[in-house]
Amino acid sequence: MEKFTVELLVANHFGVLNRITNLYAKRGYNIDSLNVNETADPNLSRMLIVSRGDEYTQTQTVRQLNKLYDVKEVTLMTRVKL
Amino acid sequence: MILSGAQIVVEELVRNGADTVFGYPGGTVLPMYDELFKNSDRINHIITAHEQGASFAADGYARASRKTGVVIATSGPGATNLVTGIANAYLDSVPMVAITGNVATSFIGKDSFQEVDILSVTQPIVKHSFVVRDISKLAYTISEAFVIANSDRKGPVLIDIPKDIQTDTWEYEMSKTDEEVKENKKVKEDENPDVLQAVEAIKNCKRPFIYAGGGILAAQGEEELLELSKLINAPVGLSMMGLTSLSSKYPLNLGMCGMHGKYSSTMAQGNCDLILALGVRFSDRATGNVNEFTKDRVIIHVDIDAAEIKKNVHSEINVCGNVKMVMRELINQLTPMKNQVWLDEIEEYKKKDAPSCDDNFSPENIIREVNKFAGEDTVVATDVGQHQMWTTLYYDFIKSGTFLTSGGLGAMGYGLGAAIGASVARDKAKTVLFTGDGSFAMNLNEMSTAVSQNLPILIVVLNNGVLGMVRQWQSMFYDERYSATTLDRKTNFSKLADAFGAKGYEANTMKELRTLLNTLELTGPVLVDCHIDMDEKVFPMIPPGGSVKDIIVKGE
Repeated sequence: MEKFTVELLVANHFGVLNRITNLYAKRGYNIDSLNVNETADPNLSRMLIVSRGDEYTQTQTVRQLNKLYDVKEVTLMTRVKL
Repeated sequence: MILSGAQIVVEELVRNGADTVFGYPGGTVLPMYDELFKNSDRINHIITAHEQGASFAADGYARASRKTGVVIATSGPGATNLVTGIANAYLDSVPMVAITGNVATSFIGKDSFQEVDILSVTQPIVKHSFVVRDISKLAYTISEAFVIANSDRKGPVLIDIPKDIQTDTWEYEMSKTDEEVKENKKVKEDENPDVLQAVEAIKNCKRPFIYAGGGILAAQGEEELLELSKLINAPVGLSMMGLTSLSSKYPLNLGMCGMHGKYSSTMAQGNCDLILALGVRFSDRATGNVNEFTKDRVIIHVDIDAAEIKKNVHSEINVCGNVKMVMRELINQLTPMKNQVWLDEIEEYKKKDAPSCDDNFSPENIIREVNKFAGEDTVVATDVGQHQMWTTLYYDFIKSGTFLTSGGLGAMGYGLGAAIGASVARDKAKTVLFTGDGSFAMNLNEMSTAVSQNLPILIVVLNNGVLGMVRQWQSMFYDERYSATTLDRKTNFSKLADAFGAKGYEANTMKELRTLLNTLELTGPVLVDCHIDMDEKVFPMIPPGGSVKDIIVKGE
């Protein structure tokens, strides 16, 4: 089990946050922290989501996030052993 | 050109090739329905008995035509009635655009009459969804929806259009082309697939097995699949979604594998040393116990959806891409293989799949008889349960895309709507529906649609008076405690068909059925109520969580 951070570049409009958090909720992954900021381009926001899971969980999270139409980029950032 | 939102919807539907739509009118879609009325020469709208039937019809239409199915419903109950149909399209990757009306933007969030936040309701079961709050974005949104629905891994897209957006006006220009929409999104289809590892593994194996699924149909890779199988002499087992991707006349097509797969197909899968999985997602119904499934063999997984790779099965070699292109690349790089020992073994397995020789009024004989009547171009739809499995086991599919079934969702009541959609898609072609008395009762109201459209649909009810598949499990795993599965209804399906304005018949012996089919002129919907034994079971069967070692065959 690891703590892991995912960085996302997403469309900046209503409903996007919902889609992303629902993806975690559907699989029963708790979000430890969530940070959203508008970027210099007002059409895009940057998100940082910290959650926990094994390697399978992390890979699935990134790939499932990548399928969302409002998600432009996904990067798996820091991973810390618990 | 200044157009209303409703007019823009119609223009965009036409531009995106939606010449037929299914739906049901209501308060918040009145402006759109007014335009559909004026444009009935350009768009054929078919009203069903229930929005769920409309969503299944759009699904059947999409599968039978390979176009995007379109369904329209009003806000509130109209929209919520679509939910099962949307979920069905999501799980079986069917391209669909669902358009719902909603209350005017100024009424949203006030629990107005027939207001439901359908975007939130459907969020986990759509590929993407839109609510149009700005008429300037309406045209582009509709085009975008069609592109999303029918590209990459296909699926349903929902567009919620509040009533005031439909009545607002805007300067309409031909919206951006599909290509421009595609540019906005990562489309993987043009990538060069790297198949080097896969080629090496295939060259080194002795007992290859191809496991092909719905991705073959979605990518239109039927020819490549046949070519590849012939080249490396690999038997092919199919997932339920991929069932028609090879003709059943091809000797190495072993049919469906998995929980209720054919004996030869499942045994081949369980005894191979390499599985080349093409456009499948390793459903639990297909794999059974995953550890046993993957033991002592190499698994190569090819799929267009990166999230499917290593989701259900730990595959060593993976290729993410369009399955048709990957197969083409494999064919280019592979050389012919013989595998004679392996093929001899397969021939032995196939003996257990031989047709029955009796003339009993059994599901097998009924399905084979209807098969003779229908011919190879006829689309066959099913509902969900025993009759569905029997159809996959005993019906010989020849042409690609002729089998419509609710695979991932397993939605009872799917079949009649789907058969209607398929018949409409193929210019009112003869269509067959195999159903059970349980499934059929869920959406039999759509007989009214089949009658009003005068569709030549042959409805074969395998009527055992029980919920057969659940009963089979209760019989095998719950000590014959038949909780809530003995229906004890008195429904007379043939009279019911007559009451709907269709034609109803009954059959109790093969002779009766044969006589009926031999004289039948299918000019409109016809129902045949076939009374079968309630203790008929579906075999072969691998018990849930089991493997090929646990396979139960008929009479053993």
